[in-house]
Amino acid sequence: MPHVVANGLELHHQLLGEGGEGAIPCVFAHGLLIDNLSSWYFGAAPLVATSRPVICYDLRGHGLSSHAADGYDVATGANDLVALLDALELERVDLAGQSWGALICLRVALERPERVRRLVLCEAPLPPSRLEEMAGVLSADTDDLLEMLPESLREAFTSGKRRAIKAASRLQRLLTETSLVADLQAEGDLPDETLGSVTQETLLLYGDASSCRSVGDRLAGLIPCARLETLAGGHYLALERAPEVGRLILEFLDG
Amino acid sequence: MTTLTTVASLIHEVIGEDWDLEEEITLETTFSDDLELESIEFVALAEKMQVTFGDDVDFVGWLSEKELDEVIHLKVGDVVEFIDACRT
Repeated sequence: MPHVVANGLELHHQLLGEGGEGAIPCVFAHGLLIDNLSSWYFGAAPLVATSRPVICYDLRGHGLSSHAADGYDVATGANDLVALLDALELERVDLAGQSWGALICLRVALERPERVRRLVLCEAPLPPSRLEEMAGVLSADTDDLLEMLPESLREAFTSGKRRAIKAASRLQRLLTETSLVADLQAEGDLPDETLGSVTQETLLLYGDASSCRSVGDRLAGLIPCARLETLAGGHYLALERAPEVGRLILEFLDG
Repeated sequence: MTTLTTVASLIHEVIGEDWDLEEEITLETTFSDDLELESIEFVALAEKMQVTFGDDVDFVGWLSEKELDEVIHLKVGDVVEFIDACRT
């Protein structure tokens, strides 16, 4: 498994596509808790990789990256991502993130604008407390959290077989043995003027049935070069609508 | 080694210590229902296949062209057939 050491952690990542000479690579960041790089890797990323190198990586404590007791806040996540870019010697990239991954990408775009050409924010929850699932997360109760998930995802944790047992125990570990819940609780909103200072062309993708739906309108109104696309779907858009999401990202990055 | 035995040994490597299946992996074994493979394990398997069979076997590209429903019901035999087709 390809890993790089970033911020003292091993971050697992996968490279897709080779891209043309001089093509700007695109890095994909996934969401928290139930997610890992596979939702991009088997979803929208292969299509985007037809015209550029694509890197999907696992956030700390997720997928095949190192377990981490703390550092689940957006600032540390952004540091991890910059450390990954440094380790892979990627000077300038496009960033695409789903949910918490989108907040991490946004932070990197704000703090290291020279490293980021374009930005894709899929279902970025701002403030994070807007997310309905957050109630389940903050109660640190696996059952509460699972209750909030769409049925198709919930099933993956509750069948009682090998895969579900592994997924549920991983979820339990993140909720009860790490600072993740406290980190999420402490994560605030971004002020309008900060969002207004985003310099990158930005594609906003939101689901029409998502609890974060109105965040898309807010970001579209504040980020100077932003375009909002609303798709039929809920919060887990990158997974639910992978082909459309892939096509929209490809067009946006190629344009 | 046939393609099937190679793929089966890669699946064993990915599932590792969790391996508790007594049944042998056959062409009819499904990744989801029989092997209970997690998506992140599928990523690990795709990488091992790439290393083992070379870049001509674009497993991820092949998967990305399939509907989710097809991927869920994928059998070991489908993968073996794909690999053999790439190598002939």
